[in-house]
Formats: sequence, structure tokens, C-alpha cells
Amino acid sequence: MAEFRQVEQAGVERRAMLKGTLGAAAMMGLQACAPAARTERPATMMAPGRKTALVPIRITRDQLIDVKCCIRPLRAAGPNLGSDVVGDTLVIHNYGHGGSGWSLSWGSADIAVGKALSVLPREIAVVGCGIIGLTSAVMAQRAGLKVTLYARESIQQTRSFRASGSFTPDSRVALTDPAGPAFGDVWERMARFSWKAFRTYLGLPGHPVEFNDSYQLSDTPITRRVWPADPAITQSFATSGRPRQNSEFGHYSDRIRDIVPQAQPLSDEENPFPVAHARRSSHMIFNFASYAHVMLGEFFERGGQFVMKDFYSPADYAALAEKVVINCTGYAARDLWQDKTVIPVRGQTGWLVPQPEAFYSVRYRNVSLTSKRDGIVVMNTNPDLGEMLGVGDSMELPNVADIEQGLEILSPLFSPPVVERS
Amino acid sequence: MIQRAAPLLAATVVALIVIAATPAPVSTRDGVYTAAQAADGARLYAAQCAMCHGRMLEGTFEIPGLGDRFIAQWSNAPLSNLHDYLGRAMPQFAPGSLSPGNNSKIIAFLLQANGLPGGSTALPADPAALSRVMVQPADPRLTAGAVPRTQ
Repeated sequence: MAEFRQVEQAGVERRAMLKGTLGAAAMMGLQACAPAARTERPATMMAPGRKTALVPIRITRDQLIDVKCCIRPLRAAGPNLGSDVVGDTLVIHNYGHGGSGWSLSWGSADIAVGKALSVLPREIAVVGCGIIGLTSAVMAQRAGLKVTLYARESIQQTRSFRASGSFTPDSRVALTDPAGPAFGDVWERMARFSWKAFRTYLGLPGHPVEFNDSYQLSDTPITRRVWPADPAITQSFATSGRPRQNSEFGHYSDRIRDIVPQAQPLSDEENPFPVAHARRSSHMIFNFASYAHVMLGEFFERGGQFVMKDFYSPADYAALAEKVVINCTGYAARDLWQDKTVIPVRGQTGWLVPQPEAFYSVRYRNVSLTSKRDGIVVMNTNPDLGEMLGVGDSMELPNVADIEQGLEILSPLFSPPVVERS
Repeated sequence: MIQRAAPLLAATVVALIVIAATPAPVSTRDGVYTAAQAADGARLYAAQCAMCHGRMLEGTFEIPGLGDRFIAQWSNAPLSNLHDYLGRAMPQFAPGSLSPGNNSKIIAFLLQANGLPGGSTALPADPAALSRVMVQPADPRLTAGAVPRTQ
């Protein structure tokens, strides 16, 4: 780390000299000759406007230890929070959160559990043990209910564990028209509730939830990306059962910009990367391993029972001993409940060995690296199709070459800076 | 009174005839597929299923294997359930693309691979006929009580 700082300082020196700020360069030069003095100044004391010292992330192929693929369950009208009666059983749905399941998990569970409580049960079943199911189960227990969780597998083997682990509450969560204007309010309620719930996990041992700095980098000035409707595309979800262009997707994140940190532009003096334009934001991330440990711990401590079970049809719900069931089956609901408004959106993540000393995230040319305790997530979202990437694709096998291409695209960011020697 | 009872009696007689004409349920232990079906099924499996579920049906950490646990999950239910599910949901990248006949061949292969015996009668592709075949694991010691239950 110290070594990189030294290199980075030299890089600053070179840039400063190029810009003719000789005074600053002279000062830096003195520091370069006296490493002891430099290490006495902790990074946290750096004044605004100074270049941040970052440890470069090692992104060589040997660091890649896993590639995971999963299907986001985009539901055109937004998550199904409605209910059905099957025989003598009330089924409350809680599925179809697109790429926002983690981010909306607590708020969505709050709504589903509220509905369950309204019929005054003493015990309920939860079907599905992804992030929505497990959170719903714990939420119900906190409300005093006895909960049995029925699932094919524990959360570690579900699609939830193949997400990226970032707070992205409006990622492919709904299509604007099918969701209708009322969905925004429901979304905001879920997002705000979840944000507060996640904050209660900050600082816990194992860091189940935390923030890090996320750098958006670009060779050209960074502007907000907009996808205007293309009139040449005449098909839409309404005519074909799936979205045909980006403009059909709902965006709601501006509703909570008062609490979620927004990206700030970095001056050239602050930008630690060899890229012309940079913005920095504080980003909430989830450490899957630790978070699952904490959640399962609470579930079992509160007397929860886990039953390994596969469900074939809605009739199986009526056969459960519990007569109130929260259905959290994610993408599986498309087949199980014959909900064809659930649209598969394929995504995949590469995982590098954790590098806690390089605890920050970057996004450059549609490739992102998110440094977390459970690994460094690589996502290559090229070609540049926005939210349409992966729509309609239910192939869940990973494509390693895609991740390797992503690492190549990012490699210039972490090449050793040129060190000028006198 | 007699007039009122007559339709009931007739219905009962019809029901009894229907029950008598319906073959008794059979178990997957009774040889419900042919070796030729299973061989065809193996080829179909290799082409359409193995890429995800594995050459040896072993699955992965994330994708279910098709061995003991798979049979346990579908046990004590009619084989028509599995046939229906595969027909509408598999293969995941092209759901609904399996023909009923090929679907039965793949099931024949899966039964064979899980130690369930073949026989002289081919596994049908018709839901009504399949609904009379109950899935049971090869080992008779495995019963409903053996469904994994953990806490």
C-alpha cells in the first residue's frame, strides 16, 4: 500500500509538473524523498481537492475465481404483492423484483407480512429462501409469528446469491406503462423502508452491509444517460409480451435522492485514475456471506423451521399445514404460478479474490468492478444496450469470455503509473 | 323414493365400471419404460440437458442435480407432474420446446440413471396414462418419511 502511494504521489508530481504548478510539485518531491513523513499523514486527513491515494485493484485473469449467472425476474407491472386463495389457504405474493430484490427486500417484506397479519394467523409459511423469502420470514417472526420456510435450497444456492450485491432499487423493477403511475409510491415506500432497515446492519461484525466509494470513469464528459423512445420500434410489451426498448423501463430512483448519495464530479487534481473524467459516489453494498449468516442466524434463533421442499403447482400450497403463505419464488413463479408477465433478464458476474486493501468500486466503458468483502464483482454490460441487455434470455450458463473481456477493458485503469526519475 | 334413488344407483354402477376399467396405479419400480427409450433419452439428455445438469446428472452448486434428491422431490406424486413440468419449463433456455415423446424418453433415461428398472412397455406421453405411474425411489426403504427435513 505504501509503495503504491509512493507511485501515485509520483504520478501526481508528473501531472503537477506538466501543469506548471511547480510549488506543489516541489512539495511532493520532498515528500517522495521522505516516505516516513508521508505515512504519518493518514488518508482520512487529506484535504478536499487532493488526489485520493488508492491501492490499484489486481484484475489479472488468475484472480478470477468464479463466474455466476442468474436471471432477474422482471415483472412488467412491478413485483406481485397481490394475493390468491387456493382451497382454504391464503397465498400472499412477494415475487418479481427484477434486479432490485436485495434493495427492496425489507420494504417488500413489510408489505407482505402486513397483509399476512391482517388475517390474524399465529403461524405462517414462507415459500422460497432467496433474499425476499428469508427477509419475509424474519420480518414475520419479528411480528410474533411462528414461521416455517419451505424451499428447494438455502439462500446460498438461490439466484439471490448470484446478484452483484449493490443497492440498485430501480434496476429492471418494472415497465412504466404496465406498472402504472401508482407504482411509484409503492416503490418509494419499499425503497425508503429498506434503506433504513439496511442501515441497522452497518458496523456489525462481518460487515453485512457497508458503503464504499464508487468511481464512474469516462474518456468523455459524463452526462446522465437517457434513452428516448425510438419511434422506429413499433413493438412493445403491450404488443409482444416483453419490452422492446429502454424507454419502456420505469425509473424511480430520483424519488429517494434526498437520502441516497449522488455522484460528485472530481476535479483533475482529485481524480486518481488515468482517465479524463471521474465522478465519485458513496454506494451501499451487501456482503452476501455475512448477510446470509446474520439473517439465517436470526431466523433460527427465533425458532424458525426450514423444510426442504419443491413445489409443483399452486395446489401444493393448499396442502401445507399453514393456511397463510407468503410466496417468494422469484423467477420460478413464472412457471409455478403461470405468471407470464415475469420476463427473464439474464445477467452475470465474475468474482475476483477479495482485496480488502482496495476497497472501492469503478465503472468504465460499461464494465464495473465492485470491491466487497466477499469478492470483487466484475460485470461487463457490453454491448451497450442499457436495461435491454439480457431481456428475454433465460440461458443461465455463465460465459467466462465476457468477464475476461471486461477485465481487459478495465486494465488501463490499473496499469502502473509512469514514474519519472530525476 | 325408488325413482329418486335410481339415478344414484346408475351413477354408482357407472363409477364402478370406470374404476374397474382403469388400470391400477403402477410404481416407477415396476419397469415403466423400455431400454430403447432410455437410450434415446440419453442422447437427448446429452444434447439438451447435460450442459446445465451435468454429464453425470450431478448438477452444480447452483443448478439442481438429477440424482437422489431429484427423485425424492418428485416421489409419491404421479409421473405426469414431472412430465408436465419438463414440458413447460425445460430446458430453461427454451421452455416448451420438448415434444411429449422426447420428454418421455428423457424421463426414461432419468429413471434408468437413478436405478429404476426398465421393462417391456414403453413409457407413454399421454398425461392421463402418466398420471397412473407413481414416482418412487429405487430403494423401497426410502419412503415419504425420508424426505429431507432440517432445522
